Amino acid sequence: MSFTNEPLLELRRAPVRAGLTDALIALALPWSVPVIVAGERRDAPTFTSTDPGAPTRVVAEVTAATEADVDAAVHAAARAAPAWEAKGAHARAAILSRAAGELRRRRPQLAALAVRECAKPWPEADADVCEAIDFLEYYAQRAIALESTDGLVQLPGERNTLRYAARGVVAVVGPWNFPLAIPAGMVAAGLATGNGVVLKPAEQSPACALALVEAFHAAGVPPAALNLLPGEGDVGAALVAHPGVHTIAFTGSGAVGLSILKTAAELQPGQRHLKRVVAEMGGKNCVIVDADADLDDAVPALVYSAFGFAGQKCSAAARALVHHRVKDTLLERLHGAVDQLLIDQAERFGVDVPPVIEPAARDRIHAFVQTARDQGARVHQPGTVPPHGHFVAPAVIDGLPVGSRVTEEEIFGPVLAVESVRSVDEACAIVGAQPFALTGGLFSRDPATVERVSRLLPVGNLYVNRHITGAMVARQPFGGNRLSGTGTKAGGPDYLLQFVEPRVVTEDTMRHGLVV
Amino acid sequence: MTIVAPPAAAPSSTPPEEARVRALGRQIAAGQAKAGRTRTRALEDRGMEWLARDPALRAALFRLVDVAPACENRRDLAAHLAALLGEAERPGTPIGFARRVSTRRAGGPAVGALADLVVHRMATRFIVGADPGDAVPKLEQLWREGAAASVDLLGEATVTAAEADRYARRCDEALRTLADAARTWPARPTLDVVPRVNLSVKVTALTAKVKPDAPELGIADARHRLRTLLRTAKRVGAHLHVDMESMDSRELITQLVIDLLGEPEFRDGPSAGIVLQAYLKDADEQLDQLLDGIAQPFTVRLVKGAYWEHETVEARQHGWAAPVYETKVESDRAFECLTRRLLQARPHVRVAIASHNVRSIAHALACAPDRDLELQVLRGLGDDLQQALTGMGLRVRTYCPVGDLVAGMSYLVRRLLENTSNDSFLVNRTRGADLDALLTKP
Repeated sequence: MSFTNEPLLELRRAPVRAGLTDALIALALPWSVPVIVAGERRDAPTFTSTDPGAPTRVVAEVTAATEADVDAAVHAAARAAPAWEAKGAHARAAILSRAAGELRRRRPQLAALAVRECAKPWPEADADVCEAIDFLEYYAQRAIALESTDGLVQLPGERNTLRYAARGVVAVVGPWNFPLAIPAGMVAAGLATGNGVVLKPAEQSPACALALVEAFHAAGVPPAALNLLPGEGDVGAALVAHPGVHTIAFTGSGAVGLSILKTAAELQPGQRHLKRVVAEMGGKNCVIVDADADLDDAVPALVYSAFGFAGQKCSAAARALVHHRVKDTLLERLHGAVDQLLIDQAERFGVDVPPVIEPAARDRIHAFVQTARDQGARVHQPGTVPPHGHFVAPAVIDGLPVGSRVTEEEIFGPVLAVESVRSVDEACAIVGAQPFALTGGLFSRDPATVERVSRLLPVGNLYVNRHITGAMVARQPFGGNRLSGTGTKAGGPDYLLQFVEPRVVTEDTMRHGLVV
Repeated sequence: MTIVAPPAAAPSSTPPEEARVRALGRQIAAGQAKAGRTRTRALEDRGMEWLARDPALRAALFRLVDVAPACENRRDLAAHLAALLGEAERPGTPIGFARRVSTRRAGGPAVGALADLVVHRMATRFIVGADPGDAVPKLEQLWREGAAASVDLLGEATVTAAEADRYARRCDEALRTLADAARTWPARPTLDVVPRVNLSVKVTALTAKVKPDAPELGIADARHRLRTLLRTAKRVGAHLHVDMESMDSRELITQLVIDLLGEPEFRDGPSAGIVLQAYLKDADEQLDQLLDGIAQPFTVRLVKGAYWEHETVEARQHGWAAPVYETKVESDRAFECLTRRLLQARPHVRVAIASHNVRSIAHALACAPDRDLELQVLRGLGDDLQQALTGMGLRVRTYCPVGDLVAGMSYLVRRLLENTSNDSFLVNRTRGADLDALLTKP
């Protein structure tokens, strides 16, 4: 079976751009996002999601799930799972592929929704939709491959079979920064392997989650096999703690991830299994620039990696570790490049830095920049921001003291720290000393350096001579090590193993001394 | 690789035009054969042909050329050479030996010096000078040999406004310097029908805001810089030619040129032009847009297109239909159709045919018995061709890059890769491919 990624829109063609603008105009807001348990909708709005670029624009009126909803959803998923699993991988894959078709049919609308709800600029919003489609198609294929896996040694007189059974109920706790792709991927992995799923989307992006759930249901996923629980942190916490949950698939902050791991480790009354956690958490991603780097490539790649989508990707570049011989040149060009960035609403084509997700994020990022100033660092933050929306102007910072919060903690915003290193090996030591190990970058034109750094760095995804974001399903399986995650690779060939339990059956085929 | 012989042309499929094309093609080829060629040049050509046969070594050497200017010293260069050759190494090749020598303490600097020398030699073959003033003697020599020039200022990529300003300033100075120098050159009636000084400019170097999905940002940002250059060109009587690059900037460049040439002050000059890339599947629509959008006479340089790999790989990685033809023969065919269209659009369009493919040139000449067209070749690669064409009394312009070695590297690598590909007309000629086969209608 061959897999190809869903083609991105060719936005360099004017009619394609016009199609998206039309979709944005046609998008009727606000949406109403209910709690959906076993196909039953409970619609009694308690909170809203708003446009980060225009906070008065309500994108969705949302019903937060209650503890009763959580309990009902887990039970519904548990009841639906056996029949769903019994359909077999081929049938489930066909349904997931049909769901991918549903998303494909609605591509412009879904991208427009991500523009409004999460302030994703068009190219990133479109890529998010494509990645969601990719996850569905890819995991559908992988589930079929998993079902036909048979690697056991067979001797005469016995028959050994290995089967991967669904673990039961998967709780998906999703992020807002890839509001379609990441929840879609985690849900699809659970469903493809025959689990029942309960989705708790980020409170910032419930409308995107509803669009996904509707696509799965329209494609034939049994209503009870996928349930939607909008809400804030308390809903996620209740879901994770529920004794009926078997697997927790989480993408989000390190603090929440650690608390999930802790909760999952505690046996609840009535719980008869160990919970498994698949967690994708933060990073503090470094890009190493060696003296022989092509700065014509390195500067734009750094700018895009650090400031694209306002730095709100777990893969984004946070630190540039630059060989001292090229540091001044690089910094000068970097400053000049940042001067050219367009800070504006996500819906404007060509925007580099859209608003960040919410006021709290803006304030947190501002506080980091202030810390840098207080610590005597040089802050280059030239941009002016539009009057409305949660904007933060991109900042390049150098001259930070060793151990500064700004170089140690994840900021999740458009801030890049630049540090001088004496050698690539010193840079590798800095990366190696970090608690995070998600993505990394290297600019070098020496194959020996590339080889050495590839072996030294603990990061899950290393990008050489290119930007460090935008992993593609099946081509760049994505996920981090150390405190960045549980080491699983979304969009990779072995990801589905997290959602199943292996069962081996050994049958004696001898009867009365004869092999029958 | 299977080599399929082209089908023998049936007599009925050889209209009179084809006979003229072949006759002209043979005449050009004979002129090329007579062109003086130094021993080192012949060696270099053979070397390039050899490189075309060994993709791994070719990749290693081009990557060396690419990194050379960033190396701190010769030992550093030698270390890069060793690592790059290590990647290209296979059993039974001389590469292993070269790699071992370059890693030795004593051998390193020596090999580095040799690599340095090779890189410089290769660069000076293609680049006429470090700056326009430095290039003037060579340009004058070209002129005396019967060829005009189009000067292209090489530089680093533009990522900041300061870099865009610096490039614009260099272009402006180049126009003035070259105009001053060219005034004293002797009359050349064949060449003097258009301005002597011809500068090729890159719009992507005039703005740091090149965004495929927002051409209007780049247009707004580059507009004042290109306008200043048009004014200078008009004042000094030079021709300003806007180069075309990849698809990512095509809409920006096309619209910017149409906009500016529509401004009242440029209706009566300067002489200006743009590029049409025959490998683009929608080149015809592109030409329509130019013919509709530009009222005054303007020059179109027809090229096959130099970003084929970039376009193909980018399309493949994004899942797009490639905007370029996938086979050489389709590009060659499109080139001839566009040649005819351009020639028919005279005098609204002044035609420049930029190709090293003798068949394409002969075809253009056969379509224009009045010889009212310009033929353009690349410095360093089309030197034989230049001599052959000037020898036939044709209007020839040689595209001459100017700049320092660091800036010249990406240009150099692009040109080398292009001309050591197996599809290259030059490589096929060096290999002694049958001339008649190469002159066959695509």
